Amino acid sequence: MTDQVIYDRGYRTYDGERTGPAGARRAVYKEGIRRVLGLGRKAREKVYPWVMIAIAVGMAAIVIGVHWFIGDLAESLAEGVPSYGELFDLYSWIGLLFIAFAGPWLLIPDRTRGVLSVYFSRPLTVDGYLTAKVGAFVSVVGAIYLVPQVVLHLGLGLISSDGFLTYMGDNLDVLWKVPVTTLAFVAMHGALAFLLSAFIDRPGIASAAFLGVLIPGRFIAAQISEATFAGARWTALLAFDHLPRVIRDALFRDTVTYPAETAGFGGWTAAAVIGAAVVVAAVFVRWRYRRLA
Amino acid sequence: MGQDNIVAIAGLTHDYGGVVALRDLTLQIPPGVTGLVGANGAGKTTMLRLILGLLHPTAGGMTVMGHDPQTEPLEVRARIGYMPEGNCLPRDQTAADFVAYTAQLAGIPPSEARRRSSETLFLVGLEEERFRFLGDFSTGMQQRVKLAQAIVHDPDLLLLDEPASGLDPAGRTQMLQLIRRLGEFDINVIVSSHVLTDIEETCSWVVMLDAGDLLRSGPLQGFEKRGSVQVEVVTDALLVAERLSNRGLQVTVDGLRLVVGPGDQSIEQAVLEETAAAGAGLVRMVRGSASLEDLFLQPSEMTGP
Repeated sequence: MTDQVIYDRGYRTYDGERTGPAGARRAVYKEGIRRVLGLGRKAREKVYPWVMIAIAVGMAAIVIGVHWFIGDLAESLAEGVPSYGELFDLYSWIGLLFIAFAGPWLLIPDRTRGVLSVYFSRPLTVDGYLTAKVGAFVSVVGAIYLVPQVVLHLGLGLISSDGFLTYMGDNLDVLWKVPVTTLAFVAMHGALAFLLSAFIDRPGIASAAFLGVLIPGRFIAAQISEATFAGARWTALLAFDHLPRVIRDALFRDTVTYPAETAGFGGWTAAAVIGAAVVVAAVFVRWRYRRLA
Repeated sequence: MGQDNIVAIAGLTHDYGGVVALRDLTLQIPPGVTGLVGANGAGKTTMLRLILGLLHPTAGGMTVMGHDPQTEPLEVRARIGYMPEGNCLPRDQTAADFVAYTAQLAGIPPSEARRRSSETLFLVGLEEERFRFLGDFSTGMQQRVKLAQAIVHDPDLLLLDEPASGLDPAGRTQMLQLIRRLGEFDINVIVSSHVLTDIEETCSWVVMLDAGDLLRSGPLQGFEKRGSVQVEVVTDALLVAERLSNRGLQVTVDGLRLVVGPGDQSIEQAVLEETAAAGAGLVRMVRGSASLEDLFLQPSEMTGP
């Protein structure tokens, strides 16, 4: 042992593994999740996402608690407690508010702070960058929808008087209906959030524009769709916020009806419009970022 | 790389919708620290972006470390570190996180990226501040972080676009020292700057651009031997000047004093011969050192590799 100290370590070369473009995409994906959740950021940037997550999981816990409290003694009362499908009405508001924050926050700072010039000097393509960002977005927002549903499903199974396994067996359809409905919400809202965030340079304005298109838009489109001129009913499909709910209704056979359903459009039409919105958003966002690179 | 050229450019032209940024450039850049000099708008940043494969040339082409950035951009970028001129730092990340992240973008595995981030921030003098958020950094500290992210992945070639931009004199000196150190670590560097003294202090090779044209490309070593020679004679200064002019040398006369050149060491021999031939009597002959600015303003040619 010596008591000598190295004051200047110089520069160490690196001859180890290099993961190439796939590693770059993974890095963008992980950093995207960290940014949306405020990880590695100042405390104030963690508040909003984690409050939203806490509310979403808390709602599931409350529903489980209500079921447990009223039990089988009052099944008629249990009918007033939201079902899996109806819970999407609650979660979709949380999801909407979360996406209004997450979409702009995921894309805009990289662009306005010039960080893209560093990213694209690395082995990372525009498509790789956007794919990783979409992956991060879908992972976090999907979890906002799915985790409470999983908590609810397991919780209801555990308190079921029929036993856990029987409850699971009786509700197998939930295992695909919930993810499909989640995908519809994430795709529709995500496409719009990415499209607006790619062209607006202020996160606050992008968030307001996102909510402005979806919330007033649903009422305006609904009103026009009830007009008497030819083809008016098609405007019901422009109530973008309703489209995932139409799919939800089609899957869960819930009673809530939306203008698109009243106008005669079903789940497949809503899915087609959502798919078209995703394609349009992808084309414009890609065009925008290829010009920036 | 051995002694191969780091960058080889042939007939390169790039325009932005009719505005020519680079015009028919042909040059080679050897290993070492190279200065890319020119006024604002000379085409320096365009050349760096072409080297990265982020722009497509209108005509001609180049190879960077043996790869064509147009057809193999990811291979080229994997071996390059780039420090942009403008702001490129997220305000909401710590220096350590950001530099580690950029290392991962270059393909370094996460655990090694974190280790190298700390080491690199130590190297640029930010070991104490590495866990502070970048939004709280001064301009000088931000420039150091920009340099750190450019070298964290051990690139073969480092592109620095106006690295001393916005720095105070002390910060500028420190940044230039850092760049010199990188050269000592055998990292190939291309430094873009419109400040000629920065290039003089750091580079061994210089490429000069002027409004998209190549003005010069050559070694900086020996520039001082290409300065002017100040001569004082006893008499007949005008006759000596005429004889030197006849030999193709630039001469200005002020009384019995002449300034000859700039040029290489053959000037001294010419002065000796012509003062003797004119019987003018040589009192004094001193070679002045040429600055890069002198050479930038002179039309004479330099030899490339």
